[in-house]
Amino acid sequence: MNVRRWSALTKRELLKISRNPAAIVTSLMLPILYLILFGQGFNFTSSLDYLPPPERVAALNALILGAPNYFSYFAAGMVGFVGVTATLFVGANVIFDKLFGTLKRTAASPATATDIFSARLVAGSIQPVGLAFLVLGLAILLGHVGLSGLTVTASVSLLGAAEIVVAILLLSSMFASLFLALGFTIDQPQTYFALVNAINLPVLLTSAALYPWGAMPSWLQAIASYNPVTLAVEVLRINFFGDAFYPYSAAVYLLGLVGWFVGMFTVATLLTRKALAPKA
Amino acid sequence: MTEAIVAEGLTRVFNGTVRAVDGVSFSVKEGEIFGFLGPNGAGKTTTLSMLTAVLGLTSGHATVDGLDVAKHAHELKQRIGLVFQESTADQDLTGRENLEVAAALFGVPLRESPKRIDYLLERLALADSAERLVKTYSGGMRRRLELAVGIIHSPRVLFLDEPTLGLDPQGRAGFWRIISDLRKESGMTVFLTTHYLDEADGMCDRIAIIDHGKIAATGTPSELKDRVGGDVVTVRALGNGAGLEAALKALPGVTSVTVQDGSFRVKCPIGETLIPKVVGAATGLGISLAGVSLRRPSLDEVFLEFTGREFREDEGPTATDRAVFLSRFQDARRGRR
Repeated sequence: MNVRRWSALTKRELLKISRNPAAIVTSLMLPILYLILFGQGFNFTSSLDYLPPPERVAALNALILGAPNYFSYFAAGMVGFVGVTATLFVGANVIFDKLFGTLKRTAASPATATDIFSARLVAGSIQPVGLAFLVLGLAILLGHVGLSGLTVTASVSLLGAAEIVVAILLLSSMFASLFLALGFTIDQPQTYFALVNAINLPVLLTSAALYPWGAMPSWLQAIASYNPVTLAVEVLRINFFGDAFYPYSAAVYLLGLVGWFVGMFTVATLLTRKALAPKA
Repeated sequence: MTEAIVAEGLTRVFNGTVRAVDGVSFSVKEGEIFGFLGPNGAGKTTTLSMLTAVLGLTSGHATVDGLDVAKHAHELKQRIGLVFQESTADQDLTGRENLEVAAALFGVPLRESPKRIDYLLERLALADSAERLVKTYSGGMRRRLELAVGIIHSPRVLFLDEPTLGLDPQGRAGFWRIISDLRKESGMTVFLTTHYLDEADGMCDRIAIIDHGKIAATGTPSELKDRVGGDVVTVRALGNGAGLEAALKALPGVTSVTVQDGSFRVKCPIGETLIPKVVGAATGLGISLAGVSLRRPSLDEVFLEFTGREFREDEGPTATDRAVFLSRFQDARRGRR
């Protein structure tokens, strides 16, 4: 990989992102609506308030693994949601660059497929991290305006904060790799968006991002345990609410995410190389 | 003079059956402007894509600046410049930013990069709009930016794929003036594809005519025109014109007569003197004429001569476009800018 070419391509992608605030606002709209409407409306744990404190706490621990209320549990899950949905545009941009000819120019230059892929990957993975922290900030803020808000019950250490950043970065990089591979392989935007929808929803619905863990059937828990979205949100929940109810430490979940990322990155770079090679 | 481009039996087959380029062989000398002329779908862009390592070869062999295009694609891309027929600049970046990215991609040394960018912006009349987003540029400005990106690294061989497509005559003349000047300054080899006959005639040192994936003729514009063999008088008769072909062949000075779509193409050294004789011969046979026209040797005639059919007019500029372009091009050559 050539550092100068890579940094020029990364800078180009970041400039394009910064000049398209509408895309950033659109990426934030859905998580904000989820926080304000779904999060507030589905905050079912308030219905357990009638129970005596020890039984209430036991019920909460069984359902939402140490979180003080469903909204707090859900807010961490929304970060996983953002890590997936905010990376969609990286693949779409590749398709639009194909349609507008920009990719043709880059592919005809001495830049390698790795330069082109990794520049888009880095630029496309940074934005979800920023958005994820905005979502967390908003979730905390809601608690100060008379609504349910994110309550962090554990003290987040510097290492814990780093674990959170790395988890979001790994999750968004993994999905950015996947969507980039699709973008380089597919030519039609319609096909791309249809495929992305076919991937996104099952990924989110088989994770522990939205469901209370204790309410999930055991077969769904088994699938969710390996889902990368679950792995990322568990890192956040362990750091926000303590690790007493989790079978593994945050480091183990991070290791799982590394595995997912390496696998997806490898497959995606191979597909991109094939897509950018001179047509045989 | 050494050869900058050598193509031997270049062939590209799509989907196993469509032979877009079929055994094309030619060479381009260093410093030459070489035109690849043909209608849409003739195989021009496919040939250029193979020579620039964008497309693989089905069979054959090609070298550009001494590099085998199939084996040394990466090195080749560093030595050549490529201007696509469509705009490939990033619309959300400024003109300068596009050039900065191109300079990094093509390895222009960091110290030289700002100077080279400023020079090209100035040279291609884009300095005043360098800080504007490309999406605000006019068609002509985008073409000039495309050219600047293509030559940012001072390539040894520049490939231009229909570079003036969509430009008005003034824009086209201006674009070619720049190419002509740059060639004089740097001595780079230029390979261009076009379906504008006037451009090929006015700009190229040598031309290859390609049709249906095969080269029909190669030579300098004047060599090709000489091969047509003089003026062409086209005669259109009312009715079937029975006996007219034989009568025309018998006229003094006529070198050949061919019949196409009911018209008689009569070749002769000097057309003006033949026209009264043609009219006389037709009158003698009692044939009324619908029209008689005289055409000097041109690349249109060359195309017809070597491919057996007219260059499709719907793919080229209008007659008015051509007249305006030629006038401006000649003005540019005389230095009246």
